[in-house]
Amino acid sequence: MIPTKPTKEIMLDGLWRDNPIFRQILGICSTLAITNVVLNTAVMCISLTLVTALSCLTVSFLRNWTPRNIRMMVQTLIIAFYVIIVDLILKAYWPQMSRNLGPFVGLIITNCIVMGRCEAFAGSNRPLPSFMDGLFNGIGYSFMLLAISVVRELLGMGTILGIAMPYFSTPYWDKWIIMVMPPGAFFALASIIWLCRSMKRKGAKS
Amino acid sequence: MRDKPYFAVIYMFILTAFFSALLIGFSRMTRQRVQMNEQLNFEWAVVQAFPKIQYQNNQQIHQIFTKQFAKDEQIGAYLYQKDGRLQGYAVPFSGKGFWDKIEGVIGIAADKKTITGVSFYEQKETPGLGARIDEDEFRRQFIGKTIEDGPKPIGIVPSAQTLAENQVHAVTGATQTSIRLEALMNQDIRAWLDAVEKKEVAP
Repeated sequence: MIPTKPTKEIMLDGLWRDNPIFRQILGICSTLAITNVVLNTAVMCISLTLVTALSCLTVSFLRNWTPRNIRMMVQTLIIAFYVIIVDLILKAYWPQMSRNLGPFVGLIITNCIVMGRCEAFAGSNRPLPSFMDGLFNGIGYSFMLLAISVVRELLGMGTILGIAMPYFSTPYWDKWIIMVMPPGAFFALASIIWLCRSMKRKGAKS
Repeated sequence: MRDKPYFAVIYMFILTAFFSALLIGFSRMTRQRVQMNEQLNFEWAVVQAFPKIQYQNNQQIHQIFTKQFAKDEQIGAYLYQKDGRLQGYAVPFSGKGFWDKIEGVIGIAADKKTITGVSFYEQKETPGLGARIDEDEFRRQFIGKTIEDGPKPIGIVPSAQTLAENQVHAVTGATQTSIRLEALMNQDIRAWLDAVEKKEVAP
Protein backbone atom coordinates (compact mmCIF):
# COMPACT_ATOMS: atom_id res chain seq x y z
CA MET A 1 0.00 0.00 0.00
CA ILE A 2 1.21 3.50 -0.81
CA PRO A 3 2.15 5.42 2.33
CA THR A 4 -0.30 8.19 3.13
CA LYS A 5 0.76 11.78 2.67
CA PRO A 6 1.36 13.75 5.88
CA THR A 7 -1.72 15.63 7.05
CA LYS A 8 -0.10 19.01 6.45
CA GLU A 9 0.48 18.12 2.83
CA ILE A 10 -3.14 16.98 2.44
CA MET A 11 -4.35 20.27 3.89
CA LEU A 12 -2.10 22.39 1.67
CA ASP A 13 -3.04 20.44 -1.43
CA GLY A 14 -6.75 20.86 -0.85
CA LEU A 15 -6.52 24.51 0.08
CA TRP A 16 -4.12 25.78 -2.53
CA ARG A 17 -1.77 23.53 -4.53
CA ASP A 18 -4.51 21.27 -5.87
CA ASN A 19 -7.41 23.63 -5.18
CA PRO A 20 -10.55 22.12 -6.67
CA ILE A 21 -11.65 25.34 -8.34
CA PHE A 22 -8.62 26.88 -9.98
CA ARG A 23 -6.35 23.82 -10.21
CA GLN A 24 -8.63 20.83 -10.75
CA ILE A 25 -11.47 22.96 -12.27
CA LEU A 26 -14.04 20.74 -10.55
CA GLY A 27 -17.45 21.68 -9.18
CA ILE A 28 -17.74 24.55 -11.63
CA CYS A 29 -21.46 24.04 -12.15
CA SER A 30 -22.37 25.09 -8.64
CA THR A 31 -19.71 27.79 -8.73
CA LEU A 32 -21.52 29.39 -11.61
CA ALA A 33 -24.99 28.85 -10.22
CA ILE A 34 -25.03 30.03 -6.64
CA THR A 35 -22.29 32.63 -6.27
CA ASN A 36 -24.39 35.73 -6.90
CA VAL A 37 -25.38 36.29 -3.26
CA VAL A 38 -22.85 35.77 -0.47
CA LEU A 39 -25.20 34.24 2.13
CA ASN A 40 -26.46 31.52 -0.23
CA THR A 41 -22.89 30.77 -1.22
CA ALA A 42 -21.81 30.41 2.39
CA VAL A 43 -24.54 27.90 3.18
CA MET A 44 -23.81 25.98 0.00
CA CYS A 45 -20.10 25.87 0.90
CA ILE A 46 -20.76 24.55 4.39
CA SER A 47 -23.10 21.89 2.99
CA LEU A 48 -20.61 20.81 0.35
CA THR A 49 -17.70 20.71 2.77
CA LEU A 50 -19.64 18.53 5.21
CA VAL A 51 -20.87 16.22 2.46
CA THR A 52 -17.39 15.83 0.97
CA ALA A 53 -15.66 15.19 4.28
CA LEU A 54 -18.24 12.68 5.56
CA SER A 55 -18.58 10.92 2.22
CA CYS A 56 -14.80 10.48 1.98
CA LEU A 57 -14.75 9.16 5.53
CA THR A 58 -17.48 6.61 4.82
CA VAL A 59 -16.06 5.55 1.47
CA SER A 60 -12.70 5.04 3.09
CA PHE A 61 -14.22 2.94 5.89
CA LEU A 62 -15.83 0.64 3.37
CA ARG A 63 -12.94 0.59 0.90
CA ASN A 64 -11.64 -2.88 1.86
CA TRP A 65 -15.04 -4.56 1.49
CA THR A 66 -16.33 -2.72 -1.55
CA PRO A 67 -15.86 -4.74 -4.76
CA ARG A 68 -13.97 -2.70 -7.37
CA ASN A 69 -16.60 -3.06 -10.07
CA ILE A 70 -19.42 -1.51 -8.07
CA ARG A 71 -17.44 1.17 -6.21
CA MET A 72 -19.03 4.01 -8.19
CA MET A 73 -22.50 2.88 -7.22
CA VAL A 74 -21.48 2.65 -3.60
CA GLN A 75 -19.96 6.13 -3.70
CA THR A 76 -23.06 7.63 -5.27
CA LEU A 77 -25.22 5.98 -2.65
CA ILE A 78 -23.12 7.34 0.18
CA ILE A 79 -22.97 10.85 -1.28
CA ALA A 80 -26.72 10.90 -1.93
CA PHE A 81 -27.31 9.81 1.65
CA TYR A 82 -25.44 12.78 3.10
CA VAL A 83 -26.94 15.23 0.61
CA ILE A 84 -30.49 14.19 1.49
CA ILE A 85 -29.67 14.61 5.17
CA VAL A 86 -28.39 18.15 4.53
CA ASP A 87 -31.46 18.91 2.44
CA LEU A 88 -33.82 17.68 5.16
CA ILE A 89 -32.02 19.65 7.85
CA LEU A 90 -32.35 22.84 5.80
CA LYS A 91 -36.02 22.14 5.07
CA ALA A 92 -36.81 21.53 8.71
CA TYR A 93 -34.70 24.18 10.42
CA TRP A 94 -33.97 26.85 7.83
CA PRO A 95 -36.85 26.81 5.34
CA GLN A 96 -36.00 30.27 4.00
CA MET A 97 -32.53 29.16 2.96
CA SER A 98 -33.86 25.91 1.58
CA ARG A 99 -36.08 27.96 -0.69
CA ASN A 100 -33.25 30.26 -1.76
CA LEU A 101 -30.97 27.42 -2.77
CA GLY A 102 -33.78 25.58 -4.51
CA PRO A 103 -32.55 22.58 -6.44
CA PHE A 104 -28.86 23.22 -5.85
CA VAL A 105 -28.65 21.39 -2.54
CA GLY A 106 -29.86 18.22 -4.22
CA LEU A 107 -27.39 18.81 -7.00
CA ILE A 108 -24.44 18.48 -4.61
CA ILE A 109 -24.77 14.78 -5.43
CA THR A 110 -23.48 15.48 -8.90
CA ASN A 111 -20.77 17.86 -7.74
CA CYS A 112 -17.57 16.56 -9.29
CA ILE A 113 -15.47 17.43 -6.24
CA VAL A 114 -17.27 14.99 -3.97
CA MET A 115 -16.98 11.98 -6.21
CA GLY A 116 -13.58 13.10 -7.45
CA ARG A 117 -12.14 13.04 -3.93
CA CYS A 118 -13.87 9.75 -3.06
CA GLU A 119 -12.47 8.14 -6.16
CA ALA A 120 -9.00 9.71 -6.19
CA PHE A 121 -8.20 9.66 -2.49
CA ALA A 122 -10.68 8.04 -0.14
CA GLY A 123 -10.84 4.81 -2.12
CA SER A 124 -7.20 4.01 -1.36
CA ASN A 125 -6.45 5.79 1.91
CA ARG A 126 -7.24 5.32 5.59
CA PRO A 127 -10.37 7.01 7.02
CA LEU A 128 -8.80 9.89 8.92
CA PRO A 129 -6.56 11.20 6.11
CA SER A 130 -9.54 10.77 3.75
CA PHE A 131 -11.71 12.85 6.04
CA MET A 132 -9.03 15.56 6.13
CA ASP A 133 -8.68 15.44 2.37
CA GLY A 134 -12.42 15.85 1.87
CA LEU A 135 -12.61 18.59 4.49
CA PHE A 136 -9.79 20.64 3.06
CA ASN A 137 -10.91 20.26 -0.52
CA GLY A 138 -14.27 21.53 0.67
CA ILE A 139 -12.62 24.47 2.40
CA GLY A 140 -10.51 25.16 -0.69
CA TYR A 141 -13.69 25.20 -2.74
CA SER A 142 -15.45 27.38 -0.18
CA PHE A 143 -12.96 30.19 -0.02
CA MET A 144 -12.75 30.47 -3.79
CA LEU A 145 -16.54 30.56 -4.03
CA LEU A 146 -16.85 33.13 -1.30
CA ALA A 147 -14.29 35.31 -3.06
CA ILE A 148 -16.28 35.07 -6.29
CA SER A 149 -19.60 35.77 -4.59
CA VAL A 150 -18.26 38.82 -2.73
CA VAL A 151 -17.11 40.29 -6.03
CA ARG A 152 -20.38 39.48 -7.78
CA GLU A 153 -22.69 40.73 -5.06
CA LEU A 154 -20.66 43.90 -4.56
CA LEU A 155 -20.44 44.85 -8.23
CA GLY A 156 -23.92 43.65 -9.13
CA MET A 157 -26.00 44.77 -6.17
CA GLY A 158 -23.74 47.06 -4.15
CA THR A 159 -24.13 44.93 -1.02
CA ILE A 160 -22.27 42.21 0.88
CA LEU A 161 -24.40 39.74 2.85
CA GLY A 162 -27.30 42.05 2.05
CA ILE A 163 -25.65 44.99 3.83
CA ALA A 164 -25.31 48.10 1.69
CA MET A 165 -21.67 48.98 1.07
CA PRO A 166 -20.42 52.57 0.95
CA TYR A 167 -19.94 53.92 -2.57
CA PHE A 168 -21.16 50.74 -4.30
CA SER A 169 -24.73 51.17 -3.09
CA THR A 170 -24.85 54.89 -3.88
CA PRO A 171 -26.05 56.29 -7.21
CA TYR A 172 -22.39 56.98 -8.14
CA TRP A 173 -21.96 53.29 -8.75
CA ASP A 174 -23.89 52.12 -11.80
CA LYS A 175 -24.71 48.58 -10.71
CA TRP A 176 -23.34 45.92 -13.02
CA ILE A 177 -26.53 43.86 -13.21
CA ILE A 178 -24.76 41.34 -15.43
CA MET A 179 -22.57 40.31 -12.48
CA VAL A 180 -25.51 38.73 -10.63
CA MET A 181 -26.76 37.08 -13.79
CA PRO A 182 -25.30 33.78 -15.02
CA PRO A 183 -22.87 35.36 -17.55
CA GLY A 184 -21.30 37.36 -14.74
CA ALA A 185 -20.26 34.12 -13.10
CA PHE A 186 -18.12 33.22 -16.10
CA PHE A 187 -16.31 36.56 -16.00
CA ALA A 188 -15.74 36.37 -12.25
CA LEU A 189 -14.63 32.74 -12.32
CA ALA A 190 -12.25 33.23 -15.25
CA SER A 191 -10.68 36.30 -13.63
CA ILE A 192 -10.19 34.56 -10.34
CA ILE A 193 -8.64 31.45 -11.94
CA TRP A 194 -6.32 33.71 -13.89
CA LEU A 195 -5.39 35.64 -10.75
CA CYS A 196 -4.73 32.54 -8.64
CA ARG A 197 -2.74 30.77 -11.32
CA SER A 198 -0.50 33.78 -11.84
CA MET A 199 0.05 34.04 -8.09
CA LYS A 200 0.84 30.37 -7.96
CA ARG A 201 3.39 30.58 -10.75
CA LYS A 202 5.20 33.40 -8.99
CA GLY A 203 5.24 31.39 -5.78
CA ALA A 204 6.73 28.40 -7.56
CA LYS A 205 9.59 30.44 -8.99
CA SER A 206 10.80 31.95 -5.74
CA MET B 1 -17.22 -15.40 -0.31
CA ARG B 2 -15.84 -12.04 -1.40
CA ASP B 3 -14.64 -13.26 -4.79
CA LYS B 4 -18.02 -14.80 -5.63
CA PRO B 5 -19.92 -12.85 -8.32
CA TYR B 6 -23.05 -12.55 -6.22
CA PHE B 7 -21.12 -10.84 -3.43
CA ALA B 8 -21.40 -7.46 -5.16
CA VAL B 9 -25.17 -7.80 -5.39
CA ILE B 10 -25.61 -8.78 -1.76
CA TYR B 11 -23.18 -6.10 -0.65
CA MET B 12 -25.01 -3.38 -2.57
CA PHE B 13 -28.35 -4.64 -1.32
CA ILE B 14 -27.29 -4.54 2.33
CA LEU B 15 -25.65 -1.16 1.97
CA THR B 16 -28.70 0.36 0.26
CA ALA B 17 -31.03 -1.09 2.87
CA PHE B 18 -28.86 0.30 5.64
CA PHE B 19 -28.63 3.86 4.30
CA SER B 20 -32.27 3.94 3.24
CA ALA B 21 -33.37 2.86 6.70
CA LEU B 22 -31.37 5.70 8.23
CA LEU B 23 -32.88 8.18 5.80
CA ILE B 24 -36.42 7.00 6.39
CA GLY B 25 -35.89 7.37 10.10
CA PHE B 26 -34.46 10.83 9.71
CA SER B 27 -37.19 12.01 7.40
CA ARG B 28 -39.84 10.70 9.81
CA MET B 29 -38.19 12.68 12.56
CA THR B 30 -38.27 15.91 10.59
CA ARG B 31 -41.51 15.45 8.66
CA GLN B 32 -43.72 17.14 11.19
CA ARG B 33 -41.39 20.11 11.34
CA VAL B 34 -41.23 20.39 7.56
CA GLN B 35 -45.01 20.36 7.25
CA MET B 36 -45.40 22.81 10.08
CA ASN B 37 -42.92 25.14 8.38
CA GLU B 38 -44.96 25.04 5.21
CA GLN B 39 -48.19 25.84 7.03
CA LEU B 40 -46.60 28.62 9.11
CA ASN B 41 -45.10 30.01 5.99
CA PHE B 42 -48.50 30.29 4.39
CA GLU B 43 -49.99 31.89 7.47
CA TRP B 44 -47.09 34.30 7.57
CA ALA B 45 -47.77 35.26 3.95
CA VAL B 46 -51.46 35.85 4.64
CA VAL B 47 -50.69 38.12 7.58
CA GLN B 48 -48.00 39.95 5.58
CA ALA B 49 -50.63 40.86 2.99
CA PHE B 50 -52.14 43.14 5.64
CA PRO B 51 -49.18 45.24 6.84
CA LYS B 52 -51.37 47.02 9.40
CA ILE B 53 -51.54 43.86 11.51
CA GLN B 54 -49.16 44.22 14.43
CA TYR B 55 -47.35 41.23 15.86
CA GLN B 56 -44.23 40.56 17.89
CA ASN B 57 -43.23 37.04 16.96
CA ASN B 58 -44.12 34.03 14.92
CA GLN B 59 -46.36 32.42 17.52
CA GLN B 60 -48.58 35.47 17.36
CA ILE B 61 -48.90 35.09 13.61
CA HIS B 62 -50.40 31.68 14.13
CA GLN B 63 -52.84 33.04 16.71
CA ILE B 64 -53.85 35.96 14.53
CA PHE B 65 -54.35 33.66 11.59
CA THR B 66 -56.56 31.19 13.42
CA LYS B 67 -58.60 33.89 15.15
CA GLN B 68 -59.10 36.50 12.45
CA PHE B 69 -58.93 34.65 9.17
CA ALA B 70 -61.54 32.24 7.89
CA LYS B 71 -61.57 30.49 4.58
CA ASP B 72 -64.47 31.17 2.26
CA GLU B 73 -64.49 28.18 -0.10
CA GLN B 74 -66.99 29.83 -2.44
CA ILE B 75 -64.68 32.67 -3.42
CA GLY B 76 -61.42 30.82 -2.81
CA ALA B 77 -60.09 33.45 -0.42
CA TYR B 78 -59.63 34.06 3.29
CA LEU B 79 -61.86 36.63 4.97
CA TYR B 80 -60.10 38.91 7.40
CA GLN B 81 -62.38 39.85 10.24
CA LYS B 82 -61.62 42.03 13.21
CA ASP B 83 -63.98 43.38 15.88
CA GLY B 84 -66.87 41.68 14.10
CA ARG B 85 -66.34 43.59 10.88
CA LEU B 86 -64.97 42.44 7.56
CA GLN B 87 -61.58 44.10 7.04
CA GLY B 88 -60.54 42.51 3.78
CA TYR B 89 -59.83 39.49 1.68
CA ALA B 90 -56.61 37.50 1.47
CA VAL B 91 -56.60 36.10 -2.05
CA PRO B 92 -54.00 33.37 -2.67
CA PHE B 93 -52.48 33.22 -6.14
CA SER B 94 -50.17 30.71 -7.76
CA GLY B 95 -48.79 29.71 -11.12
CA LYS B 96 -45.66 29.04 -13.08
CA GLY B 97 -42.92 31.64 -12.80
CA PHE B 98 -39.72 31.74 -14.83
CA TRP B 99 -38.14 28.70 -13.17
CA ASP B 100 -40.76 27.17 -10.96
CA LYS B 101 -44.00 27.76 -9.15
CA ILE B 102 -44.67 31.21 -7.66
CA GLU B 103 -47.20 31.23 -4.84
CA GLY B 104 -48.33 34.21 -2.85
CA VAL B 105 -51.15 36.14 -1.28
CA ILE B 106 -52.64 39.51 -2.16
CA GLY B 107 -54.56 41.41 0.47
CA ILE B 108 -57.55 43.40 -0.73
CA ALA B 109 -59.55 45.73 1.53
CA ALA B 110 -63.28 45.29 2.22
CA ASP B 111 -64.10 47.69 -0.64
CA LYS B 112 -62.84 44.90 -2.96
CA LYS B 113 -60.59 47.42 -4.69
CA THR B 114 -57.76 48.72 -2.58
CA ILE B 115 -54.71 46.49 -2.30
CA THR B 116 -53.44 46.27 1.26
CA GLY B 117 -50.32 44.27 0.45
CA VAL B 118 -48.69 41.42 -1.43
CA SER B 119 -46.52 38.59 -0.14
CA PHE B 120 -44.97 35.41 -1.43
CA TYR B 121 -44.53 32.08 0.28
CA GLU B 122 -43.04 30.07 -2.53
CA GLN B 123 -40.81 31.17 -5.38
CA LYS B 124 -37.61 29.87 -6.96
CA GLU B 125 -36.79 32.76 -9.27
CA THR B 126 -33.19 33.74 -10.05
CA PRO B 127 -31.55 34.89 -6.81
CA GLY B 128 -30.68 38.57 -7.04
CA LEU B 129 -33.01 39.14 -10.00
CA GLY B 130 -36.44 37.55 -10.22
CA ALA B 131 -36.25 36.55 -6.59
CA ARG B 132 -36.31 40.23 -5.69
CA ILE B 133 -40.08 40.22 -6.13
CA ASP B 134 -39.90 38.93 -2.56
CA GLU B 135 -38.12 42.08 -1.34
CA ASP B 136 -39.92 44.91 0.43
CA GLU B 137 -39.01 47.42 -2.24
CA PHE B 138 -41.07 45.61 -4.84
CA ARG B 139 -43.88 44.42 -2.60
CA ARG B 140 -44.44 47.80 -0.95
CA GLN B 141 -45.39 49.33 -4.30
CA PHE B 142 -48.68 47.45 -4.26
CA ILE B 143 -49.93 49.01 -1.03
CA GLY B 144 -52.74 51.48 -1.69
CA LYS B 145 -53.04 50.65 -5.38
CA THR B 146 -56.51 49.76 -6.67
CA ILE B 147 -57.37 46.80 -8.82
CA GLU B 148 -59.21 47.37 -12.04
CA ASP B 149 -62.42 45.45 -12.69
CA GLY B 150 -61.32 44.39 -16.16
CA PRO B 151 -59.39 41.58 -17.83
CA LYS B 152 -56.16 42.89 -16.29
CA PRO B 153 -56.81 43.81 -12.64
CA ILE B 154 -53.16 44.74 -12.01
CA GLY B 155 -50.15 45.61 -14.14
CA ILE B 156 -46.39 45.16 -13.71
CA VAL B 157 -44.68 47.53 -16.13
CA PRO B 158 -41.06 48.44 -16.96
CA SER B 159 -39.55 51.02 -14.63
CA ALA B 160 -39.44 53.76 -17.29
CA GLN B 161 -43.22 53.89 -17.67
CA THR B 162 -45.49 56.18 -15.70
CA LEU B 163 -47.88 54.25 -13.53
CA ALA B 164 -51.63 53.94 -13.71
CA GLU B 165 -53.62 53.41 -10.52
CA ASN B 166 -53.39 49.62 -10.83
CA GLN B 167 -49.75 49.39 -11.91
CA VAL B 168 -46.38 48.87 -10.24
CA HIS B 169 -42.81 48.89 -11.55
CA ALA B 170 -41.18 45.59 -12.40
CA VAL B 171 -37.85 44.43 -10.96
CA THR B 172 -35.09 45.52 -13.35
CA GLY B 173 -33.50 42.60 -15.16
CA ALA B 174 -36.36 40.23 -14.38
CA THR B 175 -38.55 40.61 -17.45
CA GLN B 176 -39.63 36.99 -17.68
CA THR B 177 -40.50 36.75 -14.00
CA SER B 178 -42.50 39.98 -14.22
CA ILE B 179 -44.49 38.91 -17.28
CA ARG B 180 -45.41 35.59 -15.71
CA LEU B 181 -46.10 37.06 -12.29
CA GLU B 182 -48.44 39.63 -13.80
CA ALA B 183 -50.29 36.94 -15.74
CA LEU B 184 -50.69 34.53 -12.82
CA MET B 185 -51.73 37.23 -10.37
CA ASN B 186 -54.29 38.58 -12.82
CA GLN B 187 -55.70 35.16 -13.48
CA ASP B 188 -56.36 34.44 -9.83
CA ILE B 189 -57.53 37.95 -8.93
CA ARG B 190 -59.93 37.83 -11.89
CA ALA B 191 -61.24 34.46 -10.73
CA TRP B 192 -61.77 35.87 -7.26
CA LEU B 193 -63.59 38.95 -8.62
CA ASP B 194 -65.86 36.72 -10.68
CA ALA B 195 -66.59 34.48 -7.73
CA VAL B 196 -67.41 37.49 -5.55
CA GLU B 197 -69.77 38.91 -8.16
CA LYS B 198 -71.46 35.56 -8.55
CA LYS B 199 -71.89 35.27 -4.81
CA GLU B 200 -73.44 38.72 -4.59
CA VAL B 201 -75.96 37.92 -7.30
CA ALA B 202 -76.97 34.61 -5.77
CA PRO B 203 -75.75 34.30 -2.22
